[in-house]
Amino acid sequence: MRSRSPATLLAISLLVAVFGIFVLYPLGATVAESLHAGGELSLDHYRFLFDMSNRVNLEAVGNSVYVSVVSVVFSGVIGLFLAFVFTQCRFPLRPLLARLAVLPVALPPLVGVIAFLFVFGETGIIPRGLQLLFGTAGPVLPAGGIAGVILVHVYSFHVYFYLFVSAALGTLEGSQLEAATGLGSGPWRTFVRVVLPELRPGLLAASALTFMSSMASFTAPLLFAGGKHFITLQIYASKLNGDMDLAAAQSVLLTAVSLAFYLFLTLGPARPSGYARKGPASAGLITPGKLPGRVMVVAAFTLLAVELLPVIAILALSLAREGSWTTQWVPSAYTLGNYTAFFADASLLVPVVNSLEMALLALAASLAFGVTAAFLVSRTRNRVFSTWANLALTLPYAVPGTVVAVAFILAFNRPVLPGLPALLVGTFWILPLAYFVREYPVVIRSVAASLEGMDGSLLEAASGLGAGPLRRFRSVALPALLPGILSGGVLVLIGSLGEFVSSILLYTYDSRPVSVEILAQLRLFNIGAAAAYSVVLMLIILLLLRLSGGLLASDRRMSYIL
Amino acid sequence: MKPLLVLAVGLACAGCSKSGVTPIVVYSPHGKELLVSFAREYEQAHPECAVQWLDMGSQDVYDRVRTEKENPQADIWWGGPMTAFARAEREGLLERYVPSWDSVSVPAYRSPGRFWYGTFLTPEVIMYNSNRITPAQAPKDWDDLLDPAWRGKIVIRSPLASGTMRIIFSSIILREMQRGGSPGSGFEWLRKLDANTKTYAADPTQLYIAIAREEGLVTLWDLPDVMLQVETHHYPFAYVLPASGTPLITDGIALVRGAKHPEEAKRFYEFVTSRPGMTRQAREFFRIPARRDIPPSDLPPWMQKLEIRALPVNFDTLADHEKEWMKTWDEKVRGRGAASGAE
Repeated sequence: MRSRSPATLLAISLLVAVFGIFVLYPLGATVAESLHAGGELSLDHYRFLFDMSNRVNLEAVGNSVYVSVVSVVFSGVIGLFLAFVFTQCRFPLRPLLARLAVLPVALPPLVGVIAFLFVFGETGIIPRGLQLLFGTAGPVLPAGGIAGVILVHVYSFHVYFYLFVSAALGTLEGSQLEAATGLGSGPWRTFVRVVLPELRPGLLAASALTFMSSMASFTAPLLFAGGKHFITLQIYASKLNGDMDLAAAQSVLLTAVSLAFYLFLTLGPARPSGYARKGPASAGLITPGKLPGRVMVVAAFTLLAVELLPVIAILALSLAREGSWTTQWVPSAYTLGNYTAFFADASLLVPVVNSLEMALLALAASLAFGVTAAFLVSRTRNRVFSTWANLALTLPYAVPGTVVAVAFILAFNRPVLPGLPALLVGTFWILPLAYFVREYPVVIRSVAASLEGMDGSLLEAASGLGAGPLRRFRSVALPALLPGILSGGVLVLIGSLGEFVSSILLYTYDSRPVSVEILAQLRLFNIGAAAAYSVVLMLIILLLLRLSGGLLASDRRMSYIL
Repeated sequence: MKPLLVLAVGLACAGCSKSGVTPIVVYSPHGKELLVSFAREYEQAHPECAVQWLDMGSQDVYDRVRTEKENPQADIWWGGPMTAFARAEREGLLERYVPSWDSVSVPAYRSPGRFWYGTFLTPEVIMYNSNRITPAQAPKDWDDLLDPAWRGKIVIRSPLASGTMRIIFSSIILREMQRGGSPGSGFEWLRKLDANTKTYAADPTQLYIAIAREEGLVTLWDLPDVMLQVETHHYPFAYVLPASGTPLITDGIALVRGAKHPEEAKRFYEFVTSRPGMTRQAREFFRIPARRDIPPSDLPPWMQKLEIRALPVNFDTLADHEKEWMKTWDEKVRGRGAASGAE
């Protein structure tokens, strides 16, 4: 191996230190805690988790896995369908509608669930509206319980399938389809033999992502699950009850399941290899002139309308007068008060400012760490090493937010090392750090994707011409990586701005983020104020997407990063 | 990246806290109305202070204080059942403080070591939607809730995070133990309640919404909060004091050990537990004072007339077992009542 420059060595040791302190150490502390009962080394908690006479934890894992699998299936069907209609059919306003189809991505998790509750919940707008329409005794088709959780997941996660499949279909060459048709293959046969194999990697990736997100889901079960057990809720309940070591064991169990799927995603099927295609992309597999085509377009429009409803509902609620919505199907009086309040009382904006501040800190750290890591890993010649290094570095990707929070509490409620600036729990810094750990893998993935497209010989040429490592990085690598950095960065910001699951366990008064404030306002019965905060958050996220050059439109990029 | 940097610097400045103002951080389950009112009054009297309150379930308060043990964020913990305070005291989370009104406190309503003091006596009640249920139809006692007629009509606040629900459930287990001899009969009772329970609400608001919007009609809750909701939101709620007696919770107050602003916290403690403070809490927020020196004539008429039959609950036993019982409830009762009824 070549000798490394001091700059490279310094970068490597910094990376290792940061990764060790903020990723490995908390996870290690969690595993260690889970192996202790009453201060002594013991396997009691694991015996308890797998106790056959009291299967509550296995049942909770079972419910989580069941909900995740069903979520994958339905998200897949709907995402696939929408992607097909929006890439293969021609109809007016297609580009605009194709963008709207990704809107649920811009909805922070908590906001999405609450919006959903107000639209499809037992006394939501749709069930109440249908009740009025049909004159039935009770609300029609209310969503709740396990079905409610699944619906929320499908609502949020079908977008992954939509993005991945759209990207794959975008790279599908028209000539392939023409050839198949020319050789006498019918549409169904063409779909199964030509299109599906192209989609397979994207579908698998979207499935794993949806599965991991569903397993990690906390807010939907919290608000919808009622009497059912979910593993994320069990962690929260154990912690609340004062059983931190049991919470740790449950966290290890959840992470193990999630990690298994992550390994399957990363090591199993190859990622889509679309960039190299040369021929024109196909568009026109289905012509809307024919009846099935028309039916499909109408169905897609209906789905899109359903997708927009929660957003519209949040907007309406932010304008509803307090207390004007009890048994009516929509609120009966409206006001701008929730927004004018922001101007009248600047302190109301503190949570928004907090979130922006912490998201920017997480962004800075994620970019510094992620770009350097991705770059250094890509420079090694050893394929096996770089695969495993990437996998290890992106490990937090598979760690659910609840687990990150539990791990941080276990690791940082005492000084990490004597001499280091004290402990972190209860300080402002713990949240931006948690966001950093949760979000930086997305930067590594997006930069790594850009690096794959970069010509390595350029760097060698620069080196041959006498450029040092910093210069090589700045003048050659950075310009090539900029798109990846930009899209990764925007995703970090979006993820951090709306982050709720870790925040709720780690916030302090001084660092309370918007998502926690939304929950607090809901708890205090200020539904309008909660909705107004949600709208502000959505607007910031949409603005970010807009500024970043319409990331929503470039589905292909997103599908590589996620 | 430049605009982002400018934005970052701008935000960093905007985030700076106002200098010269001492914050007092209060963790409390007492709700916005009461907290806003007393925070404002205190800040008017002490303009150099800013009362920063966080409203959360009382078990959440306990969990937070314990989590932040090494770096306490709260100065004062105001509200929650004495059992939670007793547990926090045992775990060394509280600071000993003897308030100026120690001589008029009731020994049963304070910690023997003077780590916490009772502020209010909070009776638990059965709450129902008064638009749909007449007082004659309403359940009269805890056991009435097990009547199959209420199946699917009960919504309960998710009990693990709620001090109120933890006490109600634990008290019922204690009562059934006295009747039947073992906690098992208590869990059997709760299983029947679970069979009638439609869902568990994630927080008090979800509970109020569910009852106000008739997703459920009956719940178990505490008297001051029921009255406050009726008063402030005009919700159609009414309550019944269960005939056989109700657990009477002592709500407590304590200083957090290692608090950043101990002197200010003490002043705030004295302020909210002063005689005028407690009288106002009684009149405006339906809180029954635990101090002995407030004459009945200062209390609102309904409170003077209130006859509470306290369930004989041994709170020491309850405090010893509550954690284990709630865990068992979560594992073996929650969501399983209907199944066991069918067997």
